[in-house]
Amino acid sequence: MASGRDVRDMLGLPAAGGDAPKAAGAAGTAAQAQQKRPKPAGGSRKIQGVAREVAALYGERPPPVAVYEEKKAYRAKRQSTGPAKKWIQQPFTNPARADGLVLKHWRRKPTTAPPVQESEDAPMEEGDNTETFLESCADYAKYDIKVDMPGFTDEEYDKYLRSDDWSREETDYLFEVVRDYSYRWAVIWDRYGFEPQRQLAPENANGDDQALAAMPFAPSKKRTLEDLKARFYDISAKLMKQRIPEVNMDADQYSTYEMLTKFDPVMERNRKMLATALINRTMDEVKEEEFLLTELQRINMAANRLDAEREELRARLDAPPQNQQVSAGLQAFTSSQALHALFQQLFQQDRSKKRATGGGSVPGRLSLSANDMVHTPGSAQQQLSAANRRQSLAQNQQPAAQTPVRSLSPHQEHRFNVSTHERLTSGVTFGSDRLLKMRQAKSNVQTGKISQMLAALGVADVVPIPTSKVGEVFEQLVAKVSRLLDVRKVREKEEGECKVLLAMKERRNGSGGGEERQAKSEVPDSQETPDIDVDGENEEDEDDVNKNYGDDAEGEADDNDNDNDADNPEDDAEGEEDEGGFNVEDPDDDGDVDAEGEDESSKQQSRATSQGVTTAQGHKRSASVFSQGSAQSSKRARQ
Amino acid sequence: MNIPNASTAPAAGEYAGDEVSAIVLDPGYTTVRAGFAGEDVPKSVCPSFYGQTASGPYLFGENAIHAPVGGLDIKNYWGSDGIVEDWDTAAKLWEYAITSRLTGARPSDPARNGLNEGNDANGNGEAMDVDMDALEQNEKPLEDNPLLVTEPGWNSAKAREKYIEIAMEDWGTPAFFLQKTGVLAAFAAGKSSGIIIDVGASHTSVTPVLDGMVLRKGVQKSPLAGNFVSDQIRTSFKQSSPEIPLTPHYMIKSKTPVDAGTPAQAVYKTFPDPPTPSFRANEEERVLTEFKESVVEVWPGPGRFTTPTNEELAKSMPGRPFEMPDGWNQVFGMERFRVAEGLFDASAALPSDTFPTPPKPDHTIPRLVQAAVQQVDADQRPLLLSNIVVTGGSTLLYKFNERLNYEINAIYPSTRNKLIAPGSVVERKYAAWIGGSILASLGSFHQLWISRKEYEEHGAGIVEKRCR
Ligand SMILES: Nc1ncnc2c1ncn2[C@@H]1O[C@H](COP(=O)(O)OP(=O)(O)OP(=O)(O)O)[C@@H](O)[C@H]1O
Ligand SMILES: [Mg+2]
Repeated sequence: MASGRDVRDMLGLPAAGGDAPKAAGAAGTAAQAQQKRPKPAGGSRKIQGVAREVAALYGERPPPVAVYEEKKAYRAKRQSTGPAKKWIQQPFTNPARADGLVLKHWRRKPTTAPPVQESEDAPMEEGDNTETFLESCADYAKYDIKVDMPGFTDEEYDKYLRSDDWSREETDYLFEVVRDYSYRWAVIWDRYGFEPQRQLAPENANGDDQALAAMPFAPSKKRTLEDLKARFYDISAKLMKQRIPEVNMDADQYSTYEMLTKFDPVMERNRKMLATALINRTMDEVKEEEFLLTELQRINMAANRLDAEREELRARLDAPPQNQQVSAGLQAFTSSQALHALFQQLFQQDRSKKRATGGGSVPGRLSLSANDMVHTPGSAQQQLSAANRRQSLAQNQQPAAQTPVRSLSPHQEHRFNVSTHERLTSGVTFGSDRLLKMRQAKSNVQTGKISQMLAALGVADVVPIPTSKVGEVFEQLVAKVSRLLDVRKVREKEEGECKVLLAMKERRNGSGGGEERQAKSEVPDSQETPDIDVDGENEEDEDDVNKNYGDDAEGEADDNDNDNDADNPEDDAEGEEDEGGFNVEDPDDDGDVDAEGEDESSKQQSRATSQGVTTAQGHKRSASVFSQGSAQSSKRARQ
Repeated sequence: MNIPNASTAPAAGEYAGDEVSAIVLDPGYTTVRAGFAGEDVPKSVCPSFYGQTASGPYLFGENAIHAPVGGLDIKNYWGSDGIVEDWDTAAKLWEYAITSRLTGARPSDPARNGLNEGNDANGNGEAMDVDMDALEQNEKPLEDNPLLVTEPGWNSAKAREKYIEIAMEDWGTPAFFLQKTGVLAAFAAGKSSGIIIDVGASHTSVTPVLDGMVLRKGVQKSPLAGNFVSDQIRTSFKQSSPEIPLTPHYMIKSKTPVDAGTPAQAVYKTFPDPPTPSFRANEEERVLTEFKESVVEVWPGPGRFTTPTNEELAKSMPGRPFEMPDGWNQVFGMERFRVAEGLFDASAALPSDTFPTPPKPDHTIPRLVQAAVQQVDADQRPLLLSNIVVTGGSTLLYKFNERLNYEINAIYPSTRNKLIAPGSVVERKYAAWIGGSILASLGSFHQLWISRKEYEEHGAGIVEKRCR
């Protein structure tokens, strides 16, 4: 509202309070208020909400503590909508009660409308109290909970539930108590006090003790909690089975049923005894246990620390120090943003190269193209050279159409040489490279041996067309070769050991070694067979060699058995049945160590060779080569 | 609108509160506590002692029993076994406790209070007489209020029936319920299971409670409680040399300050018709309670007080001064530990011929706890031991909880034992009443009341069935 002063301001009139021309009443007071208002605002710092006298005490300086007025705005304004509402003592009933007890609680007096309706309906039924209507307050009826109990009929009881230990009366009493205390077994046991005479009519009460003693059930048997549970669970299980046959029970029901039937009062009692013992431990026992536990924890922690230290040490010793620069260089590209930047960079380089070559399609084939990257911005694509674009478009079409993967039959796969891989290594490799790599072993000696053997097999140094199929077969071959080499090494070692041991034994007991010498003399014998073969450059059949080894082993086993025969002939049959002559368990055999070693190595060999048999022709040869090698080495050992 | 915080009351729906103006009555040996359910302290706390003169009526209330009137006998309605003995007086005293502060005297009927005389001038006295019976009914003090009464855990079946008879017949309450103090004290501490150790005036009780139900086999009680400590103090006073005089306030007219240990110099009142010894004993008891509050200390452990090392230790502790009403004063040293030691160690109790039963080892609090736990199913013991609720006025003795904690941990070193002892004096003294106040103000409790109709149908025996 524009006051007179404002008007005067606008009109450029002097501010004279007296001669307000038109605004007489309201505007005049407003003007006075306006005049007053600037004054406090002008007073430099007026502290809100503090009495003037108090503010004066502050002096020049501001108060050390900020003073805030207690804001009334935070509290919701009390709404005064008419006169205070009335409260009444509202009588109500609880539907959970059967006796219709009427209690009263304080409620807002209902607005006039409902009681009027009520009183219109009510007079018919209630007659006398038309003014107070009875509320039915069902808010808390939901807390009226009854427990589920299994029930049984008299026939059922007679048929299934009879017990020598429990009378019908006591069973009923048990069920009653369980219901009363809602399966709180500790309380049930606490309150359980069945007295047979309680059930008897009072006229019997004056009958003397003999009457009680004559009853079939001793009065007030002391039942343990487990007894009560056992009886109740037993009945529940039986009834459950009666209601739902076992086969028809669902998982839940069956697990309940199982739990009920599996209750074992004796075990429970024992468990409780243990629990009691645990609670009743003395201070010393508890302290001791505590001490042991802390000790255990300490030891565990020390062990963990030691392990960690060792691990660290091992890691330091094993791993070669990483090339810091390389890793740092790579790390720069671990994040997706960095990779994107790298891509862009390469892309640009690539493009400029292409521009230089005049957009030739040939170098473009191996270059990065737009569809290599998923999120290439459209603008980048527009900048592509025409040829490149065509190419990229051609390539782009493929992944778009690719969604339904065409399935090939195994035959077709073979024909088109299509292979599927779990994971593709990046980059292009040559098949020949792979073959070459396979030939290489860890040590140069081993590599030499492998190539020697391959040469002996007639495999050329360079396989002409290294298709993946060829690569696979070659890989298998090389694997077998290296396995054979391994086995040979083991055998040599074992043989050497045998010899040393034999020599030692001979030195020790010159007389007892007769039989061993026989065994020993057989060893070179059996070895000789392949030895000769190879020496004579015979094209021995692989199977034959294998058989030889088998024979060899058996022969040795037989030797073994012969040794045993002298001591315990019963073992004989068993030993002979033993195919590989694998008589490890002979307890007292002088040549035991010896025989075992021989057996084992020979068995390994035979296994290795028999594995080798299965495949192609080259393998047949490998066995003979192998035996040759072994013969050589054995010669070497003998020298 | 308001953000709920610790000081705002929760909405009724949150805690199922639905008050029906029920009254909670918690009678104890020293005081009777009464108040409306839903409040946090009993409005009416009235001494259980009552006065009786040779001729006159019973005198109830603080004012009446402490006035030195000639021939005034002070009595208590409780029996020595912790069960109400004098039912008639008990009923009257309880009624006084309720009506004096809570319901007030019923306004007498307008037809008879003499204010409406004019209306009756036309003399239809007959109609008035017919109404009389209805009026009589109206005069029962608790017509409008359901009543919840507390009882000790060992109450007899006969006593329980007596409670409901008084409530229904004499007071005309529409609904009634009886609950054990142990359970209610647990409720007041916010627990439904636990072991409740209640050290009151006449009895110490240990009550195992599981899911709001007392495990009856485990309930233990002993007479070693507040009165026993008072007796020990008296004995200690008598045994000290020179004997410490115990003069109650009412005998003192004026006193002058004296040095510690020197005889009092006071002017005593003279009574032409002196009050009875029972009156004096009751007055002395007030002094002794003061003494308990300010001097007596429980040896906090470790170990018992009576070991030589601990006694030495106690000697070196600074004493506590106390001044008798007559001005006699002294600093109490070691003896202040001794008088309460009997609660925990029967052999340390001072031999006294005034206390009815000499303390037995089984009566000490640790042994009671042990016996109670022993009677509980093994599976529940750890649960109960982790909720040990401490209540009753005598647990306010200085360092009581420390000692109790030590003793319990010494018996059960392997379980997690936890004492729950509310810090405030009111909550400790009135725990049972507060629990009752909570219980009776719950909406879910409505269906548990024994209604008048049920009482009329089944008789007093219904308490046994319903209040278990
Ligand atoms: N601060 C206090 N220190 C020590 N004792 C106290 C203290 N306050 C009260 N007492 C004692 O506590 C006892 C009263 O306790 P309480 O009110 O719990 O007993 P009660 O419930 O009336 O008795 P009871 O449970 O035996 O029926 C009295 O013996 C009193 O001397
Ligand atoms: Mg008490």
